[in-house]
Amino acid sequence: MSEYIPRLAEIVDIDIESPNTYLISLKLLDNENFSYKPGQFVMVSVFGLGECPISITSSPTRKTLQLCIRRAGKITNGIVDCRVGDVLGIRGPYGNGFPLERMKKNIIIAGGGSGFATLRSLVNYIVDRRGAFGDVAVAYGARTRQDLYFMQEYKSWQQAGIDVGITVDIGDESWKGDVGLVTALIDKFRLSAGSAAICGPPVMINAVAKKLMDKGFDHSDIYVSMERHMKCGVGKCEHCMIGPYHACQDGPVFSYDKVKSVL
Amino acid sequence: MAFLPQERLVPLLTLLSDRMEVVAPILVEGVPVFASWSGQPLALKDNPLMPPQEFFLPQREVLFRYIQDCGSYSFEEAAGKARLIFGIRPCDLRALAVLDRIFGSDPMDQSYFDKRRSTVLVALNCNEPGENCFCDHLGFGPTCSEAVDLQLTEIDKGYLVESGSPAGILILKEHPEFFLETSQSHLLEKCEMLGQAREAMNSCIARSLPGIKEAIKKADWNALGRTCLNCGSCTFVCPVCHCFTIQDLGVPDGERMRCRDTCLLSGFSRMAGGANPRISQGDRMQNWYLDKFEYIPQRTGLLGCVGCGRCSRVCLAEMDRWSLEVKR
Amino acid sequence: MEKVHTTCIYCGCGCGLLLHVEDGRVVGASPSPLHPMSLGRLCIKGWLAGEFVDHPDRLRYPLIRRGDRLSRVTWEEALSLTAASLRAIAQELGPNSLGVLTSAKGTNEENYLLMKLARAGLKTNNVDHVARLCHAPTVAGLSYAFGSGAMTNPIASLAQATAILVVGSNTTEQHPLVASYILEARGKGARLVVADPRKTQLAGLADLRLAPRPGTDIAWINALLNVIIQENLIDQEFIDARTEGFDAVRQTVLGSTPEAAERISGIPAHDLAEAARIFGSAERAAVVYAAGITQHTTGTDNVQALANLVLATGNIGREGTGLYPLREHQNVQGACDMGALPDLYCGYQKVAQARQKFEQAWQTKLPDEPGLTALEMLALAEDGRLKGLFIVGENPMMSYPDSSQIKKALEALEFLVVCDIFPTETSELADVVLPAASFAEKEGTFTSTERRIQRIRRAVKAPGEARAEWEIISDLLHRMGVPADYASAAEIMEEIASLTPQYGGVHYDRLGACGLQWPCPSRDHPGTGILHAEKFSIGRARFRAVEHREPVEAADDEYPLILTTGRSLYHSHTGTMTRRTSLLDREVPLPAVEINPEDARLLGIRNGQPVMVETRRGSISLEARVTEDTPKGSIFVPFHFSEAPANVLTSQALDPVSKIPEFKVSAARIRRS
Repeated sequence: MSEYIPRLAEIVDIDIESPNTYLISLKLLDNENFSYKPGQFVMVSVFGLGECPISITSSPTRKTLQLCIRRAGKITNGIVDCRVGDVLGIRGPYGNGFPLERMKKNIIIAGGGSGFATLRSLVNYIVDRRGAFGDVAVAYGARTRQDLYFMQEYKSWQQAGIDVGITVDIGDESWKGDVGLVTALIDKFRLSAGSAAICGPPVMINAVAKKLMDKGFDHSDIYVSMERHMKCGVGKCEHCMIGPYHACQDGPVFSYDKVKSVL
Repeated sequence: MAFLPQERLVPLLTLLSDRMEVVAPILVEGVPVFASWSGQPLALKDNPLMPPQEFFLPQREVLFRYIQDCGSYSFEEAAGKARLIFGIRPCDLRALAVLDRIFGSDPMDQSYFDKRRSTVLVALNCNEPGENCFCDHLGFGPTCSEAVDLQLTEIDKGYLVESGSPAGILILKEHPEFFLETSQSHLLEKCEMLGQAREAMNSCIARSLPGIKEAIKKADWNALGRTCLNCGSCTFVCPVCHCFTIQDLGVPDGERMRCRDTCLLSGFSRMAGGANPRISQGDRMQNWYLDKFEYIPQRTGLLGCVGCGRCSRVCLAEMDRWSLEVKR
Repeated sequence: MEKVHTTCIYCGCGCGLLLHVEDGRVVGASPSPLHPMSLGRLCIKGWLAGEFVDHPDRLRYPLIRRGDRLSRVTWEEALSLTAASLRAIAQELGPNSLGVLTSAKGTNEENYLLMKLARAGLKTNNVDHVARLCHAPTVAGLSYAFGSGAMTNPIASLAQATAILVVGSNTTEQHPLVASYILEARGKGARLVVADPRKTQLAGLADLRLAPRPGTDIAWINALLNVIIQENLIDQEFIDARTEGFDAVRQTVLGSTPEAAERISGIPAHDLAEAARIFGSAERAAVVYAAGITQHTTGTDNVQALANLVLATGNIGREGTGLYPLREHQNVQGACDMGALPDLYCGYQKVAQARQKFEQAWQTKLPDEPGLTALEMLALAEDGRLKGLFIVGENPMMSYPDSSQIKKALEALEFLVVCDIFPTETSELADVVLPAASFAEKEGTFTSTERRIQRIRRAVKAPGEARAEWEIISDLLHRMGVPADYASAAEIMEEIASLTPQYGGVHYDRLGACGLQWPCPSRDHPGTGILHAEKFSIGRARFRAVEHREPVEAADDEYPLILTTGRSLYHSHTGTMTRRTSLLDREVPLPAVEINPEDARLLGIRNGQPVMVETRRGSISLEARVTEDTPKGSIFVPFHFSEAPANVLTSQALDPVSKIPEFKVSAARIRRS
């Protein structure tokens, strides 16, 4: 059967994460196994509108497959306009995911804006396999308080012994936390050099990577999840080329030394 | 190996066309094209502008149909059809070898290989290079360097036929009445013909792989980008280019289409949020060249250019595609 | 897989292309290497020309309005209702209460039959089409000056020019093949001068760029002539031998010094002087222009100003010289040639003079009262004096100026028939909708902007019950009592050839892949590439003095910006086809108003921000695109997008001669929304 034929998945729950972002929980209708790694993505179909890449937001350690979807175009609008019970198409998982086997025990996870969606998979994975990791810190920044995702989970991360720093660009009276850049959060952490996982706008990635390298991280230990236009997900259509690499197969997670020239 | 007398070619194709669709270069209003052949005069002088790549990767094709029923979906795929392509040239065959490696990499592209497997390829070696051809400068051609079901070389009064696959051997075995024994002189004749073709090519165009690579290194991409007319022609005629997009047609039932795309459009790499990693036309042109001469070789071990010269024939901006010099 | 040789349906270039057909479906397109102009090349739209053909939105069945819904009916029902309704209106209010708008997207045969339907069937000269909105001033202006309103040379002739002046044409985007020849000439050393308020791609490649304030073209063109006369760069021999009226022009431009023109147009005087020297001293100079010249209340005068320039320097009738009006639709030229115009029969034969000839040929009495132009018809519709309208392949709701006015007019009609391939904003208002075959599903001919008559050929079957327009119109002609037993489009061309001197030698069997350029008066005539080589059809070419007039609307305190409208490379006209083509829609998915960074800063507008653009007619909401390419004081809106229809904003101020509306100048304001 063609690689392009998706599996069917029913929407079992829709949560609002921010005014334009939704957390969608899915159940695969074929009841077959769906195994994946943090950092991988799926191609999601709304039949009639088309297909687009969405990173997996849930951790494979938990039962429900979840996708965090921000309104950004025709297809993502189509997905979030669905209701519970509607059927979507899913292909994947695709991409390499975070190289957990190669990553050091001490990990810092830094996300900016909607890029944090894919990192949540890694955070919850660590929470559920806490013993396998050492010092773990999460630094996450969004534009405003309303734009922060997964607010109800921060506490559970802290309870698992993870340093959690949250910051916003624009504060208001309802926001008591940090205002400023993600890099400022990193300064607050007591960090021992290890691995890093970053996702966000290119400017933020570069700033965080530079800061971490200043703190003794090796650039090959800094892993960046890259966003690219994708259509096939399987290294054929060429939309997602980053130099000689395909973000869909060789990525979306790259070590910083491989991609810093294009960031 | 066998000898096919000139006058037996059409009867042989006629016989084969009973079993499968025969595609061959024919004239449509005088324009040479690869199309279904049903006895029209063959147009074997020039390689058509559009390579036979489209029989494996059409400009538009249905990947599958989706059929909605009570909120859920079922899918239908079309079956590949048996086909014989007569007259594919060594450059276009080489391009298929590159595509085979790309579309065959894991996970394999079923839709491409369905067509690939159900197609018999009969190649025609080039006795006379076209005015833009330079395959020899890239280290192959004008004879087939790839495995092909059958390859023909035009020699005096007919064709030298060499088989390269079970399907090819089968055609020779099943239809012995068409073929004559070959002799050493036929082979010599072939070598001489192809040697002449090589010479003709080398004397008319001074192009070399190191020269092209040097030009890519030195090119002023911004200046070139400013004159590019965004027509995409160089990518649409290239037998190696294979960028595609996927698109749905129809609700609630409809078709998921694979449509030919071009990396020279800004929307090709632009992301949903609006950010674009290849923002200028110069960036996109540079990427096209780097892909052909660096990235594809890294991925497949083969050059992403086959020296067919089609891109220089169709450039709307009248660029010199190989020196990459900016005129004024 | 079959391949069918045909002609592109997008712009007036008229490139040759092949449609690729598999299992009864268009699966691709490719250029025709034999085509004498396009030579195996295409622009991005051409490459994708076959894609919209099998779009699920195609109209498949005839529809009749029942209440507020359009319901499927049989062809018999739809056509008999159409015929009966049109007849009833004519009986009650006279034939001039009916009108026909034909299509520059339709074939010559269809335009000819529609013109015949209006005149012989409905007995009215109220027939017009979209040329009124793009190149009516070319027809009027060049007919007066040269005796023919068409491009003087083949497009390929541009490659031989040693100087090219491009005015009001975003050539690389709107007519890429013409741009290709301009770039070829430039590559060979030709000097390129581009005059456009916007910094187009071609302007960026020009030796000299002139950026006039919109609506001031005559001022600066006259200044070029002024310098050319002062510096004795005129071709006195040519003027004496082949023209008349030069002295009046010389008198008029005497005062049009570069300094005076600078005050009006904003172009620095020394640039004007240099442009004049480049053009005047060139061995072979050519002028390329498009809607930037014509869509003004001074459109006809603008065209004449360019004609004066060409005549004074003797740059006509030779290879590499001439005047190149670039037509927008692929068959605007043909629709005009076919007499889809209120005052002319096919071949530009005047209604007043040729009526008897056509009465004899068609064996019926024909109306002598002059007909109305497109906007005049709609104005009468609003007054209730025009009651029935037959629109074929046009979308006035989007493409005509001042949409709310157009909507009122269409709604006031008693009976509206729309024939098209897709549902449009106009068909939504119709009483009867007739589904038409697309270019891939029928036979016919188009005439390109270089007067090349070329065939389209049927590649696939039309969807559902859609029919070729020539068949639909034949059927209606028949119902109106005019014999119309055409077995094929080729037969219609035979009739056209017999009545149209320029097409006298045009027969399908001669057209092949290359077509024929008119005039082609007889079967053995090879067609004509360069016009006016030996003589002008009117004897001597005519100079006419023209002077600058301000546009109807000027920027003021309330509406401080000048709005111009136009198009994008990736879309065609009202987007019915290109917005249904995946790559084109992706490339420019949304409407945006272009604004200069300085204006944007003053108004606090950021790139990508939603804004509202307003004029005295209406307002639209869209995104802002902040770009240096649009000059300070101007904004630009493309008119392809129904979600932000630019023509809500434009005005119906008309050029008095050609009745073209002033699309290119409206006073506007813009604010964040």
